[in-house]
Amino acid sequence: MVNVMKGVLVKCDPAMKQFLLHLDEKLSLGRKFIIQDLDENHLFISTDIVEVLQVRVDELMDRISFPLHEKNA
Amino acid sequence: MADTKSGRYANSNATSGPSGSSSSTPPNISQLVQGPANLECKDFQEYLRTRQTPETLEKLYNYPPICLAVYRDLPEIARQFIIRILFVDQPVPQAVVSSWGAQRCAKEQQEATSCLTSLNVWRVTAIPGGLAAWELSPTFKKSVRQILLGGGKPWPMTNTLEKDSKPRDIAFLDSYAMSRWRCVLHYMVGTGNRNGTDAEAISPDAVRILLHANLMKRDERDGITITRQGFQFLLLDTRAQVWHFMMQYLDTCEERGISLPECLSMLFQLSFSTLGRDYSSEGMSHQMLAFLQHLREFGLVFQRKRKEGRFYPTRLALNVTSKESADATTAIVTMSASEEEERMQDRGYIVVETNYRVYAYTDSPLQVAVLGLFTELLYRFPNLVVGVLTRDSVRQALRGGITAEQIISYLEQYAHPNMKLVESAINSKSCLPPTVVDQIKLWEMERNRFTYTEGVVYNQFLSTTDFVTLRDYAQSIQVLVWQNEKTRTMVVQKNGHDDVKRYWKKYSKSAG
Amino acid sequence: MDAAADVSTSTKEAKESESSIDLLVIVLDTNPSQRIVRQNPQNLTQILEAMIAFGNAHLMQKAQNKLAVISCSHHASNFLYPLPGRQVEVRQIDGQYEVFSQVEKTIKQQLGNILMNAPRLSAPCESLLAGSIGRALCYISRLQRNTPPGIKMHSRVLVLTGSNECSSQYMTFMNVFFTAQKLGIVIDTCSLENPVSLLQQGCDITSGQFLKVTQLDGLLQYLLWVFLPSPQMRHKLVLPPPPKVDYRASCFCHRELIDIGYVCSVCLSVFCKYSPICTTCHTVFKAPAALPPKGKKKKKTEK
Repeated sequence: MVNVMKGVLVKCDPAMKQFLLHLDEKLSLGRKFIIQDLDENHLFISTDIVEVLQVRVDELMDRISFPLHEKNA
Repeated sequence: MADTKSGRYANSNATSGPSGSSSSTPPNISQLVQGPANLECKDFQEYLRTRQTPETLEKLYNYPPICLAVYRDLPEIARQFIIRILFVDQPVPQAVVSSWGAQRCAKEQQEATSCLTSLNVWRVTAIPGGLAAWELSPTFKKSVRQILLGGGKPWPMTNTLEKDSKPRDIAFLDSYAMSRWRCVLHYMVGTGNRNGTDAEAISPDAVRILLHANLMKRDERDGITITRQGFQFLLLDTRAQVWHFMMQYLDTCEERGISLPECLSMLFQLSFSTLGRDYSSEGMSHQMLAFLQHLREFGLVFQRKRKEGRFYPTRLALNVTSKESADATTAIVTMSASEEEERMQDRGYIVVETNYRVYAYTDSPLQVAVLGLFTELLYRFPNLVVGVLTRDSVRQALRGGITAEQIISYLEQYAHPNMKLVESAINSKSCLPPTVVDQIKLWEMERNRFTYTEGVVYNQFLSTTDFVTLRDYAQSIQVLVWQNEKTRTMVVQKNGHDDVKRYWKKYSKSAG
Repeated sequence: MDAAADVSTSTKEAKESESSIDLLVIVLDTNPSQRIVRQNPQNLTQILEAMIAFGNAHLMQKAQNKLAVISCSHHASNFLYPLPGRQVEVRQIDGQYEVFSQVEKTIKQQLGNILMNAPRLSAPCESLLAGSIGRALCYISRLQRNTPPGIKMHSRVLVLTGSNECSSQYMTFMNVFFTAQKLGIVIDTCSLENPVSLLQQGCDITSGQFLKVTQLDGLLQYLLWVFLPSPQMRHKLVLPPPPKVDYRASCFCHRELIDIGYVCSVCLSVFCKYSPICTTCHTVFKAPAALPPKGKKKKKTEK
């Protein structure tokens, strides 16, 4: 029979997908959230995690960006 | 294949996906994602397509000014097609029309054709021999011919007038129009009352339009405040602001008892008038006179006294139909170089450097407020504000629903004339340093690395036939988002789940 | 990044073509000795009407489009539109767009004045086409200079003529064509007479369109079809293929088109007969002792 699950389809670049897989594996968000790994650009995840996830991604982006200019130069 | 539009997961600050971030997404996707939170700026074509039915369009085409505006708004190829069949009395076979365009531009031609059809400018008819043919809408054809060659009745407001004893020159009209328009903008940012120069407050009607357009909202605490859309509105160039504002005005005009076609026609007629020339309001109906008074308030026309039968259209009105800010282009023949220079000085006040610093030579609180939306302000001097574009400041603007394109176009539009004279600016399309432009876009794109679609995944199909059947069904009702035949997995939109489930039950019952 | 850049360049391009100014300068041949006018003076009126409608159709395309019309006759070339200084006040009298009626009125009035004051013509004479095109180029380059920074202007010239060969102006024509080529201005020609090979060369050099119209009745339709699309968008449409261009030069002594001639080695003037002194630069040539190989002459072959 067919298996049906509700959730959210995430489309992203492969690098970001790896980051999500990493978060999932390390239980960084407290639990597993990936329902199914679809292909290299798509993941299917649970709905209630999206907000937390977005915050984490923003944090990551903040960490890997650094100021381009000195304000008080 | 995957239609991700309507099921897109909308999270207020998570996915403010701006248009233009990916080549495959249609431009309207950002609006759908953000729902009503963002400023929807429709151009004329979109307005006609979405707000009008073929019958009302036909009614609009009775007004030559509207036809001219429609014609100028068409894609270039469409304009050529129209002009070629304008003087042909019989319908022209479709094959003939499509043979006019080069093969390699078939796609563009296709767009032009469908655009003409959707605007009801032409329609399909059959000609003897069973061929499908295009036929121009007779009303449209008649009006355009009239515009081009003459005949018919003169447009209203062209009655001859005695010579104005104190004619107003273009410079006066420009400054008048801008001061009136700034009044509206100042009101929006709440600086209108404090600033002594534009002392007049705006009328209740104008406030009503701002509220209707969702540019401002009523707040329990402190009366009326600007909304997010309002801030986005401020970032538009003046032409786009006037256009958006007038579109909102037209929305409300029916309830005022003013006929929409008449208003639209008058608006376009003003935009086709000559700057610096006076026109007569003689013979206008009450409603049109009321409309004129509103236009006067917003600075689209200048009229000395309410009762005077003479008015001057201003540049604001003239620019309504031009796609780009045409003021610079209309000027070249009529204006001397020095005048031109002065006006440029008036417009451009921002200098952007490659180190992301922004210098704005202004003391207007309005301009400072707008700049503060996406820059971090560092210093303020009597006539100069210094700020810097940082990742945080830009991201904050992006979170507020402002797009990178809007920021860039604002900076471009108000770039200091000296910025435009730098060699690199002359050679490239933008006068801003390319590093800054790219970085702003990158900042926007890093927020868009994910797109979310709420949906339902179907997997573990027993046979490929089952999978294919269900997938094809989902595709046919356009709810399929993703599928893979090898793993027999598919994702459908959340709102399509019920339909698919029902279909599956029926299918499995009949099969089993 | 690439995707964003792609999108922005393509939209920018579209934007750019919308915001640029297209200037069209029409050079109208009003010489009474054109065959088509001699046959029936009414024909000139017909040509004029078609040209005005065409000019207005050009203005109708975009709000930023500009038009200029220059008349060209056997004795002078004059601006028909726009006139220097403030334009005449024209109020609408019928449903025609104000700006278009202005164009029509101004041109008709101006042309009327010029024709009335033209000197009587005893024998057929050539039109000063090259001079008029030169004037058009001057006008274009003046406007080009006044264009504010950041705005592109695309200019072209349309020559509408029923004149025959004007080989006496060969030098002027060539100067004009190469100037236009250098300035990036396209010269189009609509000929109502036998193909004018010089103008054909001009169109070819500046990559313009050349069209010979035999029937006056369809003139407007031809103009709208071939010449209304701006050069930037012509590749998107199917237009008549360029005719084979006759690249013969005309000799400086008799002003006739020649296949083979003598060329001055100093100034490249072309002569159909050998002469010991070049009439253009006054170089003295040695007597043609040995004729073909060592003489001061070259073989000029037809291209």
